[in-house]
Amino acid sequence: MSETLADFTLGKRKQPKGIIQKIGVIGCGAVGQEITMAISGNGLDVVFLDTDENRIKEIFEQIGSQLDDVINHWGLTTSEKRAILSRIKGTSNYEDLADCDIVIESISSRKRGTSIEIRKEIFRKVEQVVRPDAIISSNITTLMISDLAAALKHPERAIGMHFILPIHKTHIIEVVRGIASSEEAFEQVVKFAGMIDKKIIRLNESPGNIVTRMIVTTINEACEILMEGVASVNDIDFAMRESSGHLFGPFEMADRIGLDKILKYMDNLYQEFGDKKYKPSPIIKRLVRANYLGKLTGRGFYNYQSGKAVDQTVTCAVIK
Amino acid sequence: MKIIVLNCGSSSIKYQLFEMPSRNVLAKGLVDKIGLKGASIKHKRSDGIEVKLEGEIIDHQGGIEHLLAILISEKYGSIKTIDEIEAVGHRVVHAGEKYSGSVFITDEVIEALEECIDLAPLHNPPNLKGIYAMKELLPEVLQVGVFDTAFHQTMPPKSFLYGIPYALYEKYKIRRYGFHGTSHKYVSQRACDILGLDIKQQKIITCHLGNGASMAAIMDGKSLDTSMGMTPTEGLIMGTRCGDLDVGALLYIADKEETSIPYTNTLVNKFSGMVGISGVSSDMRDIETAANEGNERAKISLEMYQYRVKKYIGSYAAAMGGVDLIVFTGGIGENDTNTRTKILEGLEFFGISIDKEKSMKSRGKEELISLPESKVKVIVVPTDEELMIAADTYEIHEKILEESNF
Repeated sequence: MSETLADFTLGKRKQPKGIIQKIGVIGCGAVGQEITMAISGNGLDVVFLDTDENRIKEIFEQIGSQLDDVINHWGLTTSEKRAILSRIKGTSNYEDLADCDIVIESISSRKRGTSIEIRKEIFRKVEQVVRPDAIISSNITTLMISDLAAALKHPERAIGMHFILPIHKTHIIEVVRGIASSEEAFEQVVKFAGMIDKKIIRLNESPGNIVTRMIVTTINEACEILMEGVASVNDIDFAMRESSGHLFGPFEMADRIGLDKILKYMDNLYQEFGDKKYKPSPIIKRLVRANYLGKLTGRGFYNYQSGKAVDQTVTCAVIK
Repeated sequence: MKIIVLNCGSSSIKYQLFEMPSRNVLAKGLVDKIGLKGASIKHKRSDGIEVKLEGEIIDHQGGIEHLLAILISEKYGSIKTIDEIEAVGHRVVHAGEKYSGSVFITDEVIEALEECIDLAPLHNPPNLKGIYAMKELLPEVLQVGVFDTAFHQTMPPKSFLYGIPYALYEKYKIRRYGFHGTSHKYVSQRACDILGLDIKQQKIITCHLGNGASMAAIMDGKSLDTSMGMTPTEGLIMGTRCGDLDVGALLYIADKEETSIPYTNTLVNKFSGMVGISGVSSDMRDIETAANEGNERAKISLEMYQYRVKKYIGSYAAAMGGVDLIVFTGGIGENDTNTRTKILEGLEFFGISIDKEKSMKSRGKEELISLPESKVKVIVVPTDEELMIAADTYEIHEKILEESNF
């Protein structure tokens, strides 16, 4: 047998367990891709799981073109792009997640109705293949990690992680402990966050955490102001950007996240808290019905050309 | 006595075991990919025995524990027990304004280095990890910190301050610190030793030309000025760093290209310099090949590189009121005969006469390349930062021993 490092030790301390080197991401849509790039960009291996070979190919193309965009803005060198891509593997087979240290579920939350059963099923499938000490996580916004953990044989390994978009610009992850989450699992997630250069906000479980809850109510209030004819979409965004130093105004934010997702978050929060402030504004409902979903569909509160907002789609009521 | 020198990076540790004061290297190696897949230690003993061992290395302390175990092993080791190591020398990048020389590491020193993390966020944290690990593993052993910035702490305010509101210096210590200090110190001293000169009587310009590059004006053995500033981006044109650049130009670029602060950082540190200008590579050898094949941008980049170094030689000579000795070191300074010779061309009016034939041949060794009649001596001295760290560590060890005997 050839020698390894294990043959050379002083025995001064027990080598702590818990090396984190491979992360699984389930569902590699827009958000999953951002998570994947953030992890790989920090030197960790990622294996993402999506539906089939064609979709995997498409995801690699999308990630490649997003990295090219960063290169064009001088944010990355071509050799760094190659290194990032070399650390990413795509699969449609759960078995390939077997050696992941942390698996993050990040399926699309666009469809109306609850996704909780689908997510629970994913948790069950992941638990069947990963090591006993692997962390199973979900990039949850308005759902509760304890609900998903209930599907696991070992619910103590479930921790919620909410990545804040755009992930490459924000420096925090909301980390949510469920009722059964263990201290070890939480510590591993904290360590992981540090490895991908994020700080954590430690939360007690609550739908919408901090960020989503604040954002949706702000968007609702912005819709109220718009409907009352107080100011235009553009001006409300401008005022909010300038007055509070936000990266985006409420409508820009809504368009970036996707109005369908916003609507779903609002539905979930309204259902959970029963408070009217979470009840989706009629404007959002109307836009979603018309498939004005935001940046992704090229129309939301703004019209988009080549990813840039060119004009507003909703004008405010003006009394003349 | 045995001294181990550690240079801890974010996921690697370079180490050398020295016998002092004879300065013999007993073993050296590299701990690589700490905390990552495929971690290993490459170890080489002075008699040529080499080994690469793979396994899991979870953190810096784990890596150091393995390397110490290799050093005392029967098969690859150089010492019988760990107790033979009497001191540890650490390379630490940034000590801010706190230290102007190497120091015995106490809790107070550690605290000061922690405070400097803001100034060197990529380098100081892993350097500190090495210190903490050694404190844990060899608590009785003396540890010495040797700082990249320390040698340049003798710079006077006229060379270290920027022309910006003084309040920013007071508030955030925005100033020029300079880097490669250990190398500038070593090669200037070594050059004087070789030539039999008293460093205290000399006006020296040291050119550390590697992928990262800096120059220093050394007067009476002290750094008077250096080309790198608050960060290693300032000064010479480097492999991928721009060196001196009009801040106004950078703001204009950021506005036009809509780049964020991190992206602008990448622009000036990774896309610029020789790779950015030539479009060929950051490696001088590739650029010279391309230039020889007629690549215009490669030719321009080489001219720019040489011109910038030449300008700094001129300005440092003016700053010191003359120059007695120019020292070349670093990968390019030691081996790129063409670049080195071109830099020195046309400086005869300064009293610099080069033995061109010698300069075009001398690679990687200590050699005088100026003509005997040259008023200014020009010498190549391969740098050895590890040896300098070992020497400083030894000196502090001896001093402490002496003091404790009184």
